Amino acid sequence: MNDSPRTPNKPSALEKVVAFVDERVGLKTIQAKMLNEPVPGGSRWAYAFGSCLLFIFILQVVTGILLMFYYVPSIDHAYASTQYIIHEVDYGWFLLSYHFWGSSAMVVMVFAHMSQVFLWGAYKKPRELVWLVGLALFGLVMAFGFTGYLLPWDQRAYWATVVGVEIMDKTPVIGDALARFLKGGPTPGQMTLSRFFVIHVMVLPAALMGLAGLHIFLFRKAGPAGPFRGTPEQLKAKTDYFFPRQVWKDIVAMASVFMIICSLALIEPVVLLEEATPDPGDYHPEPEWYFLFLFQMLRLKMFSGEFGQFLGAIAIPGAFLAFLAALPFVDRRPERDIFKRPAALIGWIVIMAGILLFTVSAILNREFLD
Amino acid sequence: MQPKITAVARCADGDVGNISRIIVDPLSREISHVIVRERGGGVERQVPIGQVEAVPHEEEVRLRGSAEEFRRWPVLERHAYVTIDEVEIAHLEDHLCVEPGEILVPYPRLEQAVPRRRFFTNMTHAIGALMALPLAFPVVKYLMQPMYRPYDNTWFPVGNVRKVRKDNIGYQFKYTRGFKEAFMPEQRIEKNIWVVKATPAVRKAVYGGKDKTFHDDKGRVVWVNKANAPHIGFSGKCPHLGCGYKWRRTKNYPDGVFLCPCHLSIYDAAGKVLDGPAPRPLDVLPMQVSASGDVKIIDVEYKAGVKNQIRLL
Repeated sequence: MNDSPRTPNKPSALEKVVAFVDERVGLKTIQAKMLNEPVPGGSRWAYAFGSCLLFIFILQVVTGILLMFYYVPSIDHAYASTQYIIHEVDYGWFLLSYHFWGSSAMVVMVFAHMSQVFLWGAYKKPRELVWLVGLALFGLVMAFGFTGYLLPWDQRAYWATVVGVEIMDKTPVIGDALARFLKGGPTPGQMTLSRFFVIHVMVLPAALMGLAGLHIFLFRKAGPAGPFRGTPEQLKAKTDYFFPRQVWKDIVAMASVFMIICSLALIEPVVLLEEATPDPGDYHPEPEWYFLFLFQMLRLKMFSGEFGQFLGAIAIPGAFLAFLAALPFVDRRPERDIFKRPAALIGWIVIMAGILLFTVSAILNREFLD
Repeated sequence: MQPKITAVARCADGDVGNISRIIVDPLSREISHVIVRERGGGVERQVPIGQVEAVPHEEEVRLRGSAEEFRRWPVLERHAYVTIDEVEIAHLEDHLCVEPGEILVPYPRLEQAVPRRRFFTNMTHAIGALMALPLAFPVVKYLMQPMYRPYDNTWFPVGNVRKVRKDNIGYQFKYTRGFKEAFMPEQRIEKNIWVVKATPAVRKAVYGGKDKTFHDDKGRVVWVNKANAPHIGFSGKCPHLGCGYKWRRTKNYPDGVFLCPCHLSIYDAAGKVLDGPAPRPLDVLPMQVSASGDVKIIDVEYKAGVKNQIRLL
């Protein structure tokens, strides 16, 4: 598609370098394979969520690496070094706040992405594996949020971890070992911080990069699902390539997400509470907002007692995730139109409404405590 | 002429079968054999490419020799070969063209409007740049934070000149100083300097008869070392590449010299380079000696490996 008026007989130095590399690597073929993927039914804004997730993740990696230039993962310096980033280092407050809000954006975007795939019926054959790997990625994103939360080592960080690890402790059979593994002992301390740090900055990023690569590979292998309506002729007439129109929509969406995260970082920068200590003082422990619904659920009467606790904290969320994993194998009808899948539509609305309801009631509950 | 795989293989005295496969040499990436399946679902014979006499049209391959000779070629041992889908042979496609032609798929109508495509490309790049540029400055500033700090002109006591008994000999003074960095609590770090009680000739070699002034980062005078002061303090950091040097007597220098063990820079008692790779003499420190002989210095540190003194600390 080179339509520049340059005369072809005199290649520039750059063109020569590109040609040299291309001859040995096949760059142009790779580029064509990556960018010229036909999108059935044409590009759409609804397809931008996955690209946005990749974009947010890359910036989380960049800001995360920058934070590690000053952060020290030891219980006598973690808090001080985080305060130093916020108060002393030029733009440190911004990069830390961007990383903080970026993690929330990641969770929101994962929910949006999964909802889109669910509503479009895009998890169905032949995309079952894309869906399964996607679920694993969802787990990784939540694990990122959970482990990263401890690192500033303030009261909020400490108590969210204490409660979170207590919940994992209730997992049957492996719970006790899992909790001890995460804490690096019977109670939270330096070993916990070291473990959460290495999981957050080494284990999870490596896992996420590998699985995201697999996710994209499987997606390209299966091809985009396209819209759930329209005859093959209609879809063909509207089909275009991933590049440039979908890339354009993706980058506009990324720029919007970027501006929203920047605005949140500017308007609501991260402020630490007191340094972590096993005495909560006046602080009312609470997890990050995307875990609030689960937190609130565990306040219900029906989830009291040892069995109730197991039911609310482990069995129900576990069963829900298992159901999501089984979904493409249970729901084998090829029908993808969400308006012809009433159970799926109602199920999605109920789940979303439930999460919203519990989150809002957790926020309202704060007033009773103060 | 490009033959089709399926083309008829014909010897001088009639058809012998159809081409069913070809064998490629993985090193030369050229066709080495054609495989001909005998008429009526017979065996596959492996015929060297040299036996191909001509390809009159894409449906026919003419072989040298008779049908009788053809039947002497060995039968293909399929298990001894793999397909090119099972193995990666670099640049095979560039060398061989065995398909009937290019396999084409329609170019979507929406993609054929070239000006729009360019517009989208350029706008995509513009938005990418718009996100990257405002981040660049904060990130650079963020990383630069601890790189520059004002000079520390505090005086540190390092010992007493009583222990310097002989002239023109290096005596090491060890001292500890406080060092505060970023969020860390103040650390005590050990450093050392070398003090020489210099004869007038050595003093002259060090100062050239002129007092030496020391400045802070704004250029104000912090201290003046008098050219006639007998005691001279040298920074413990070798001006070559920053190692710690020692006072040693050697066979070549029986009176003693400053010797750096890293790259063997050798300095005399005046700090002048006698031998080795050092680009400048030892660094003289701002030093005061009280009436009772107590020595205090400013812990000035210069960049190593350059001709001129460039102050770091």
